Amino acid sequence: MKTKTYVKRLAAAAVMGLTSLSAANAAEDTIKFGMCYDLSKSYTFVTPQITQAAQDLATLTNMKGGIGGHEIEIIVQDHGNEPQRGIECYEKLKREGVFVFDMLSTPVSIAVLPRIMKDKNILIQSLVGRGDAADGSVFSQIFPVGPTYWGQAANDIAYIKEQSGGDMKGVKVGFAYLDYPFGQEPIEILKTLAEKEGFELLLYPVPLPGSDQASVWTKVRRDKPDYVVAWLLAGGHVVAAKEMKRNGFPISNYISVNWLNEVDIANIGAEAAIGLKRGTNVAGGQDLPIIQEILADVYGAGKGAGPVEKINDVYYNTGLAIYSAAFEAARLAVEQNGFPVTPDSMKAGYESIVDFDANGLFAPITVTADDHGGGGKTRIEMWDGKTWVPQQDWTAAYTDVIWDVVKESSSKFTVE
Amino acid sequence: MFYGLSGVRHNSYVSDSKLFPVPADRNAVVFFLLLGLAAPYLVSSLYLNSYILPWLIWTAAVLGLNLVTGWAGQLHLGYAAVMAVGAYSAVHAAKFGIPWEFALLIGGLASSVIGSLFAFAALRTKGLYLALTTLAMQFVMDWVLTHSPTIAGGSHASLQSPTFALLGQDITSDAGLYYVAFGWCVLVTIFMLNLRRTGLGRALVAVREKDFAAAILGVNSFYYKLVAFAASSFIAGVSGAILVATFYFLAAPEQFAVNVSIQVLAMVIVGGLGSILGSYLGAALILLMPGVVNQLFSLGANLLGLDLGIETLAHIPNAAYGALIVIFLMVEPLGLGKLYANVRDYLMVWPFDQLKK
Repeated sequence: MKTKTYVKRLAAAAVMGLTSLSAANAAEDTIKFGMCYDLSKSYTFVTPQITQAAQDLATLTNMKGGIGGHEIEIIVQDHGNEPQRGIECYEKLKREGVFVFDMLSTPVSIAVLPRIMKDKNILIQSLVGRGDAADGSVFSQIFPVGPTYWGQAANDIAYIKEQSGGDMKGVKVGFAYLDYPFGQEPIEILKTLAEKEGFELLLYPVPLPGSDQASVWTKVRRDKPDYVVAWLLAGGHVVAAKEMKRNGFPISNYISVNWLNEVDIANIGAEAAIGLKRGTNVAGGQDLPIIQEILADVYGAGKGAGPVEKINDVYYNTGLAIYSAAFEAARLAVEQNGFPVTPDSMKAGYESIVDFDANGLFAPITVTADDHGGGGKTRIEMWDGKTWVPQQDWTAAYTDVIWDVVKESSSKFTVE
Repeated sequence: MFYGLSGVRHNSYVSDSKLFPVPADRNAVVFFLLLGLAAPYLVSSLYLNSYILPWLIWTAAVLGLNLVTGWAGQLHLGYAAVMAVGAYSAVHAAKFGIPWEFALLIGGLASSVIGSLFAFAALRTKGLYLALTTLAMQFVMDWVLTHSPTIAGGSHASLQSPTFALLGQDITSDAGLYYVAFGWCVLVTIFMLNLRRTGLGRALVAVREKDFAAAILGVNSFYYKLVAFAASSFIAGVSGAILVATFYFLAAPEQFAVNVSIQVLAMVIVGGLGSILGSYLGAALILLMPGVVNQLFSLGANLLGLDLGIETLAHIPNAAYGALIVIFLMVEPLGLGKLYANVRDYLMVWPFDQLKK
């Protein structure tokens, strides 16, 4: 019986394979998104949740009739965080009619950037890649919707200022960071703000891969900073939590970069992590209309792209946020310029997103031709033992300082 | 069969040390050379510029590493760092307004100088100790690149390469870029083919087999180690620069990190130490196989209607790829180049070797 169905399928697939070439050319009635992701190396702590979110959101949108009556097609391929394979994936999908790409990897995003700019395609670059890409006047094809690391760090400082009663004189802020470009990026901004606000900045470089932080936290014990802002990844937070406990630093004064999720919380211990703070542009938890809808309609109908437990993860929310914005841009593109969507109309669609927050899923974004970041708003959320509790409203602080840095950096870029 | 040796007689040393003693080899090389020249008209631009072009540049780089590891016998784990030196110097030179021809030379020479520093380590240490020293140099280079924005190009550590040009002619077309890579690879191959026949090549082999025995024979092993490191670094530097100029279009530290060094060494070992054909095959296996295996598996899963999650689909090819390397090395520890040589040696006497049985 079973072999029979396999043989049937094989035959059907062979026929389809033969006809698919002509079919692909004839039926371009879907809107394609190419996800070249690192599913096997460095980014695996986040890629499964984000791909699952993108596929679920596409399923939900298609169930509701797609975008202007056209289905969304998500194509996922692994690039193992290797620039060479990322380029290969880009070149391959480009020829299959994909023009909206998402690499979700800093090295690969940087590697494909010259090609995207030259080919005038669209690169979704949320939370990765070069931060100055938010400058739409230079990086016309790149859409890093969400905060830059610079903006995120500045917003963290604004939160600390708020907590210190508006005056930062005498406040000590520690910055624990992985000692490579990801962690080093906010340092300049923090130094500028330290000068501006008069707080004392203490730098704590953590050597890669972040599993040895003993010396960092004994130094913290000696310096007694009021807050520690941490630019660490995944397991790095768990090590930090252990060291904090050992050195008597309260975890409630620890403000993490957005890369910290429920898996890390479980590794720290849900109880032990109470009070831990995290800067984010995406609301945490499942109490959001879009997630409830996905749970009911997509998972309820057994059409989920992965195990339902994985939804309980802020990275899933992050994936939904990235693709809600992308689908909104596509929707606007169809509304404004009709079908088929082209790179130009997609770009125009993105640039006409105004005050969009997908029903409270993320910080409201307004993307303009100059600001491809959408405003860069974030907020601090706190882990209360079960879920994330927002500590403030969505804010974007020190935007003038951020934009000075962005402009200064982007002015050096030219399209070759 | 195919490799007929009848009528091939060598009456002088010159004729005996010909590049291709067997006519069939020469014909095959000419055939592939023509194929390479005609490639832009034969294969689609996807395969030309995303697979063949990087493969050729990596092959040139692998040949360079083979010079120092395969010929001179010095284990080198910091090869990608040497490529980085060439790439960054060349791009900086080109940004400064120096024509690309000279920028490439500057890249090669800068690599030569830095790479020769590795040779001083090689004078004092051997074998695994040398491997560790070179690995340390790789880490030093990684650190320098991530901590000096002036070299690496700003806080995002990406340095854009100016448009590649030769003889005042901008090269931007797919075919043009391909021919640059092809030309460089052919040049390096010709150099390596001829190296085997020269006194230098024989001296390197002598140093590889036993350096103090070579010294007794009057071969200055330090000098030849230095030459091997300098020459291989030059090739590395220019290859790195061409890789950035024609494929990546920008230089970033990840492109020359420690894992890349390991990969290049893997290309040399899987291909076969001291084998030129092996360098081509090794680069192809290590560089292109992950993508190919990946596609085969997703195609297979589609055909059979299996719904493997995207994660499983991403991991199975890695396992298969690893297994493939192990199998190849178990079948022939001397590498892919030797596999071909085995077939050739068998066919040389076939069918006459059957007679005595």
